[in-house]
Amino acid sequence: MATTTEQQSDSSDSENGILAQWTQGVIGDDEKRSRLYRALFYVACGFFLVTTLFPFYWLLVLALTPNSQILTGDWSLPVIGLEFPHPQGFNPQAFVEVFQQIPFHLYVFNSFVLATITTIIVLLVASLAGYVFGRLEFPGKGPLMLAVLMVSYFPPAAFLIPLFDAFLGNAVVIPFLGIELFQPPRLVNTPGSMILPFSALFMPLAIFILTTFYAQIPDGLEDAARVEGTTRLGALFRVIMPLSAPGVATAAVLTFIAVYNEYFFSSIMALENVPENWSPLVGGILSYQDQYTTDFNLMAAASIVGVIPILILVVVAQERIVSGLTAGGLKE
Amino acid sequence: MARVSLSNVTKRYDDVVAVDDMNLEIEDGEFVCFVGPSGCGKSTTMETIAGLTKPTDGTIRIGDADVTNLPPKDRGVSMVFQNIALFPHMDVYENISFGLRLRKYDQDEIDRRVDNASEIVQLEGMLDREPNELSGGQQQRVAIARAIVRNPDVFLMDEPLANLDAKLRVHMRTELQRLHKQLDTTIIYVTHDQAEAMTMSDRIAVLNAGQLQQIDPPLVCYNEPANLFVAGFIGSPSMNFTDGELVDGGITTEHFDIEFDTTELGVGPGDEITAGVRPEDIYLTRNEDEVDYPSEVIEATTDVLEPMGDEIFVYLSLDGTSGSSMTSDEAAGAANQLLMSVDPDTEIEEDESVSIVLDRSKVHLFDTASGDALAHGIIDLSEAERTRAAAESGGQHE
Repeated sequence: MATTTEQQSDSSDSENGILAQWTQGVIGDDEKRSRLYRALFYVACGFFLVTTLFPFYWLLVLALTPNSQILTGDWSLPVIGLEFPHPQGFNPQAFVEVFQQIPFHLYVFNSFVLATITTIIVLLVASLAGYVFGRLEFPGKGPLMLAVLMVSYFPPAAFLIPLFDAFLGNAVVIPFLGIELFQPPRLVNTPGSMILPFSALFMPLAIFILTTFYAQIPDGLEDAARVEGTTRLGALFRVIMPLSAPGVATAAVLTFIAVYNEYFFSSIMALENVPENWSPLVGGILSYQDQYTTDFNLMAAASIVGVIPILILVVVAQERIVSGLTAGGLKE
Repeated sequence: MARVSLSNVTKRYDDVVAVDDMNLEIEDGEFVCFVGPSGCGKSTTMETIAGLTKPTDGTIRIGDADVTNLPPKDRGVSMVFQNIALFPHMDVYENISFGLRLRKYDQDEIDRRVDNASEIVQLEGMLDREPNELSGGQQQRVAIARAIVRNPDVFLMDEPLANLDAKLRVHMRTELQRLHKQLDTTIIYVTHDQAEAMTMSDRIAVLNAGQLQQIDPPLVCYNEPANLFVAGFIGSPSMNFTDGELVDGGITTEHFDIEFDTTELGVGPGDEITAGVRPEDIYLTRNEDEVDYPSEVIEATTDVLEPMGDEIFVYLSLDGTSGSSMTSDEAAGAANQLLMSVDPDTEIEEDESVSIVLDRSKVHLFDTASGDALAHGIIDLSEAERTRAAAESGGQHE
C-alpha cells in the first residue's frame, strides 16, 4: 500500500493524482485522518459483527421456517435469485413447541445449575490456590504451579474411562497390583459425576488467572486488613477478591460458559438423555432428532433459547470482563 | 493503653537475621521511635509486634498478655502504613469503620466513633469520598482515623510520613504529636528520618543490623550516644570521628593531641580510641571565650564553606590536603578532615589558615574495637573534674 502510494505520487508528482492527494490529505489533515480511522473502525467492527452474528441470524431463520420447508424450500432471494438464508414463512410457534415436545427448560436448568455450582467451587478453590501461589513464598512453588497447569494440558478424554468406571460405583483398584483402594459412591446420573470432573478440568485456568490478579494487590492492603481485624482468609475475601473483581469475573464467566456448553462428559455421565439424569442443554437440543426425523427448526429455536441465559450473564459481567482482559496494574 | 515488652525477640530469614535478640520495654503511653538505616530490622521488629510476622524466637507482651502467637486482629494494635494502604474499593467512612464493622459494633456506636475519629483528624465532611479523590495528606489522615477509631492499646506507625512531600511531612509531624497528647496511647513509630525521631518521641530506639543500639530520650541519644554507631547516626551532619591511641594522660591522634585524666576510662595506655566531636562543638580560637573547657589549639586550613543560612558548615583540612569530593558525612569520618559549624556572621574564607579548639565537655571517646562509648566529655587535668564514666548513661546499652 505504502509503496504503491509512493510510486503513484512519484509518477504523478506534477499533476498530483487523486490517490496522492488523498494520501497527502490524510497525512496532513487531522480531520481527514480521524475520518479515515473512524471508517476503518466501522469496517473492522462490521466484519466482526457479521462473522459473530450471522450464525445467530441463520439460527433465527431456521427457527422461524417450518421444518418441512427447511429441506425442500427455495433458498434463493426473491429478486436477485442468489441463495441466501432467509425465513421461508413465519412460524414463531417453534419457540413454544420446543417446550411442548420435550421438557427443554429442564435441560437448560440442568446446565445452568451445573455451571453455577462448578463456577462457585472453582472460584472458591482457585481463590485459595491463587492466594497461595500469588502472595506466599514457599519452596516448590514453581514446580507445583506447573503441575497444576499440566492438568489442563491433558485431553479431557484421557480421564473419561477411569472416571466413568469409578462413578459407576466400581472399586478403585491399583493397576497390576490389584489392591483395592476404596469403593466410590455411584455418581452417574447425578450432578456430582459432572461437577467433579468439570471443576478439576477448569480449575487450572482459573487458578492461573486469579494468581496473576491476586499477586498484584499490594501487601500493605492485606496487612492493613489483618491488623484491622480479619484473618488471612478474611482479607482474601474482603479485600483481595473485591479488588481483583475483573479477574474474578473473567475466571467466573470463562468457567460458566465452558460448563454450560459442555456435552462430552455429561452425555456419558447421564446414562440416558433425559433431564432427570442431569442431561445438559446440548443433550436437550439433540433430542429433537430421532431415528427417522430431525426437527431442525426446533433445534434452532432451542439453541436460541439456550443462549439467552449466557447472553444475560455476559451483558451483566461484560464491563468487568473487558477490564479484566485488558487489566493493567492496580494503583494503591 | 498498654506497655509493650519484647524479650529475646529474634527473627531469622533463610540467610539473614533481621532482628537479633531484641529486648525492649515500652512504657504505657510512651511515644517511641525506632530509627536506623534501611535494613536494620526496625520494620521487621514492628511487624512482629503487630503480628504480621511471627518471630523465630522470643516473646512479645502487650499489657499483661503474651501475644507472641496471637493473630494481629487479637492484639489490640492498630497500624498506619508507609504506603497508607487505604482500601481503594471503600469510601472514607467504610475505610474508617472497617475494623468496627468486622467486630460487629452496633451502627450507632460505629457512627459515633467514626464521627469522633474524623473530627480528631479534621476529616469532617469527607466521609463519602473515595480514597483516590483525596490528597496525600488527607489519605494519611484517613489511615490515622482508621487506626484510632478502635481505641487500640498500641499504635504502630511504619514510616507513615515517608510518602508525603516535605512541607506536609513537617505539618503532619506536629499533628501526630498533638494526637499523641490528646489520646495518650502508646505509640511505636518507625522512621529512618532522625529529625522525626528527635522531634516527636519520648524515647528513641536506635537499631542497627537487627540489634538495639540504644534506647533513650532524644537528647540523651544525641549528647551521650552509647556507641560509635549511635554517635554517627544521630545528628546531621554527622559527628567528626578521629582514630587515635590512648597514652598516659591523654589521647594522641594523627593530627592533634588532647590531654585529660585517663584513669577512669577503663582502658589502658596503648589502646585504640576513637574521639568524636560534633561540628557545633568545634570553635575558632577567636571565639574561644564561648567555650568553658577549651582543648589544646589545633591548626587547620579551611577547605569548602557551606552557608546554610542559620549556620555555616566549614570543612577543615588538618594536613593541608583537600577532600573536595567528599560529602559532609564522609568528611566527618575522614582522619584528616573536620567539619565545623560556625555562626553565619563569622568572617571566614576558603583556604584560610585557622586555629580551632574543641569543647572538651562535648568530646566523646569510644573504644575503637568494640565501638562502645567510654566517656562523654573530657575535662582538663588541671580542672580536676573527673569525666563521667560511660556507665552513667548506661543501663540499656548493648
